[in-house]
Amino acid sequence: MLKKIAQGLALAAALSLPTAVQAADTLKIGYSIAKTGLFSQAAPSQVNAYDLWAEQVNAAGGLDVAGVKHPIELVWYDDESDPVKSAQIYERLISDDKVDLLLAPWGTPHHLNVAGVVEQHGFPMVGNTAGSVAIREVEPGNIWFPTAVLPDRIGPALADMLAAHGVKSVSIIANVLPFSQENLQFLVPALEKANIEIKMNESYPPDIKDMTPLLTQMKSADADAVIALTYPSDAFLYTGQAKELGIKTPYQFLLIGPTIAAYKDAFGPVADGIITLGHWTPKQKDWPRAQPFFDAYVAKYGSAPDYLDSALAYMSCEILQQAVAKAGLDHDKLREVISNDTFDTINGPVKFKGVENIITPSAFLQIQKGDMELVWPKSIATADLIKR
Amino acid sequence: MESLLSGQLLFAALVLGGLYALIALGLNLVYGTMRLLNIAHGDLLMIGGYGAFWCFTLTGISPLLGLPIIAAITAGIGIALYFLLFRNQLSSGKPIPQIEANSLLLFFGVSVVTQNVIALAFSATPRAYRYLDDVYHIGQVAMTGNRIATLLISLACLISIILILNRTMFGMSIKALIQNRDAARVVGINVERVQLTSIALGFGVASVAGGLVSMAEQISPFMGFPFTIASFVVIIMGGLGNVFGGILAGFLLAFIEIYAVALTSANMRSILLYGIFVAVLILRPQGLLGKARQS
Amino acid sequence: MTKASMTHTPIPAIAATLIGAILIVSLSIFMGSYWTVVALNLFMWIALTQSWSLFSGMTGYISLGHVVAYGIGAYLVATTFKIIPLWLSIPLGGLAAGVFALIVAIPVLRVRGPYFVILTFGLAELVKFILLYTETTFGKSSRLLFGAPKTETLLYWVAALAVVATLITYFVGRSRFGKGLAAVREDETAAETVGVPVTRLKVLAFAASAVIPGMVGGLMTMRSTYFDVLQVFNPTISFSIVTMAIIGGAGDARGPILGALFMLGLAELLWSTAPQLYFILLGLFLIGFVLFAPNGMIGLIKRRKRSSAGVAS
Repeated sequence: MLKKIAQGLALAAALSLPTAVQAADTLKIGYSIAKTGLFSQAAPSQVNAYDLWAEQVNAAGGLDVAGVKHPIELVWYDDESDPVKSAQIYERLISDDKVDLLLAPWGTPHHLNVAGVVEQHGFPMVGNTAGSVAIREVEPGNIWFPTAVLPDRIGPALADMLAAHGVKSVSIIANVLPFSQENLQFLVPALEKANIEIKMNESYPPDIKDMTPLLTQMKSADADAVIALTYPSDAFLYTGQAKELGIKTPYQFLLIGPTIAAYKDAFGPVADGIITLGHWTPKQKDWPRAQPFFDAYVAKYGSAPDYLDSALAYMSCEILQQAVAKAGLDHDKLREVISNDTFDTINGPVKFKGVENIITPSAFLQIQKGDMELVWPKSIATADLIKR
Repeated sequence: MESLLSGQLLFAALVLGGLYALIALGLNLVYGTMRLLNIAHGDLLMIGGYGAFWCFTLTGISPLLGLPIIAAITAGIGIALYFLLFRNQLSSGKPIPQIEANSLLLFFGVSVVTQNVIALAFSATPRAYRYLDDVYHIGQVAMTGNRIATLLISLACLISIILILNRTMFGMSIKALIQNRDAARVVGINVERVQLTSIALGFGVASVAGGLVSMAEQISPFMGFPFTIASFVVIIMGGLGNVFGGILAGFLLAFIEIYAVALTSANMRSILLYGIFVAVLILRPQGLLGKARQS
Repeated sequence: MTKASMTHTPIPAIAATLIGAILIVSLSIFMGSYWTVVALNLFMWIALTQSWSLFSGMTGYISLGHVVAYGIGAYLVATTFKIIPLWLSIPLGGLAAGVFALIVAIPVLRVRGPYFVILTFGLAELVKFILLYTETTFGKSSRLLFGAPKTETLLYWVAALAVVATLITYFVGRSRFGKGLAAVREDETAAETVGVPVTRLKVLAFAASAVIPGMVGGLMTMRSTYFDVLQVFNPTISFSIVTMAIIGGAGDARGPILGALFMLGLAELLWSTAPQLYFILLGLFLIGFVLFAPNGMIGLIKRRKRSSAGVAS
């Protein structure tokens, strides 16, 4: 019986191998994405950026590979939000589908798992949406992270910004999920160092349905600033209920959520003055590529890109594109160029040292009159931080 | 501590309780009359949420006015599913545990299909809109317009369904079917018609709850699962098929969520909720108001 | 179990299980790293579903919280990684899951029917949130596990566990213990009146069915360099176990194997060829299956055997 099944399995395997022959000069670029499952809400902002990039490249006659243009085709699979499945998909993309280049999956756990695969195959991949100090433990050489949202840099930067604006005390609430907690870990010592008093520090589970008791406590703590280390769904819950309770704290920081287009749809003018994590905005005139990307995205999808994920995803494509134009497809040359060159992206210049982007600073955005303005650090700011 | 007595917490608990009770009510009707374990229940809420969202953003019609239409559509889905999937199962004379197990799987399939069809049609991008988001003050209590509407509409739905169940012949026959299938048939109740009405009513109510949720939360194709779980916890705790027990449990859980968190800490929220659920079942294996099961 | 199979010697069954497992393991390693992971997943699901069926399949008490055993094992192994060696921490993970099941068994097993289904689900969520709370309190929201064993090594171990789980289910099904459990499924009250030690049997089976999932959880957490509590307590794992068990068919050690093979085979065929429609097709298959084969694949096989036997005579 089992023998038969094993044979059947082998047959099924043979059948499911890709048989379609590609046009000889089309380049295949593969990635996995959380189309379904826990992280599926985050996927579209990244996929949209990839699709837009591919469309633009093909419209311009193809991807420049050391002087020769090739049309490109994106090959993707659903990793069901499972990081292990994601690693398995990259195995398949490299070994079976024989893709020419790779783009990154969504999220820290996925990046960390895929890092092992690209390392093993010596296949360079530019990462994007991973935000954890853990990325520094990854073997450098085949993966790079253009992101500037690393918790050990965010905490001190946030404390600096608040101190510079005369904040003497804060109330902190934090989701128990990893990204929030990692930020909390680095934020608390940074605040203490900046002599900012922590009047309240509470964590809450991800499935919280009502924050009234928590926010009542926060209101009576009456600190100069609120730091809510949120994920998207609780960012919505916080904003709605803080408004109901009349929390008028002048500085309110939300970790993840406000950069999503739906956030502004849900709160309109109430979202004004909310501060959040992000190091990109189309408003920065020093980055000439920023506004065209924003306009193209809005034209194609009818809503603004996610200032964090869409921008990072597009940046990783730009870096890859520029590296391939110079180095071609050879993995060794590509690795060399990505590791050493400086790239011109929608987020300004990017240069890597090890796995980390050493140019882009950890930065914060504030919603001002419906626009996303960079308010910190001063070197890239497009507007001053204002009280809410 | 004086905040414990504040009307603010009471308001929050009532809104949440009304919603839990309403969400669970639909599930209870479907389980009570047919013994179908509908784990696609939360996905009906999701459909209701999308209905309200599109109704408002495309036509500008108040999502509240759209609710009856949305309810009618999901009721129609319920009726279609009844004929396509469940009618044969129910009349096959299979033992109840097998009907339950099979319905669990059938609805699992329905749930997966629904979520992914919606994701394919509208993408997984979260959506939201603004409606009735002004804040009103009554005494010391601040209330957002859409939360007042949520409370009032859930209470209205709950009360009218209780009245239907207790005061009309038809409601009586639903209750009779919940209490004893065979006896209901013997006394001449048209079982098929009662089952059809129950599934239509149950599905309709769920999408109304979804429309209400969408006014205050973001919606997405995969938002249903936590609601499915919440409604199962509520109806199991109240006693399966016991409509009044379910309503009681819905409010109880909401009060725990608000007041127990106020007394301890927000981080204890889910531990308390599931801890009390487990404790109740261990002490009362048939739920708060459930009766011992007839086999 | 039919009467005929009761009198058969167990040798062919043991041989078939072992040969099948060795065949799949060697074939998958031969076919490369991608298929090694597919085989690893297959054995994981067989081991989990087989263990589930040891308790739920035999007694009719449907547990929708089996992920709790998997999660406890995974948690123990991940938190003691590089402190306790794996050869010790993985069995300890299984033991911890078994002890947990033993402790909660007596109160939990008083609850029946759909109440039991949702209670087990709630219990798994409760443990998940308690561990999440503990992790937050100690400032450990996620962990990195570098230097875990290779996929092939994990595959050998998980395949071995799948074989052991299959043989346990097979032998328990043939034993007095198994007959006692079947009596619980038929009519618990009646079984008790004729002197079957109902509670003892149920508690034993419940605890036993948690041990292998605990070890599987510990092993499977090693295949990812990243660990967090939400991942290993994902309720989808419980749902998938129940789905595979029902698809396979109850009351036969072949059921879970067939269920896991069917679901994974279907997934492998669909997810790469139709990524957009994968889940929709999967859902439709599931619905169709329940409608046309309500007794699972085992039911289909038995029906075919019966009808071909009918033709022959």
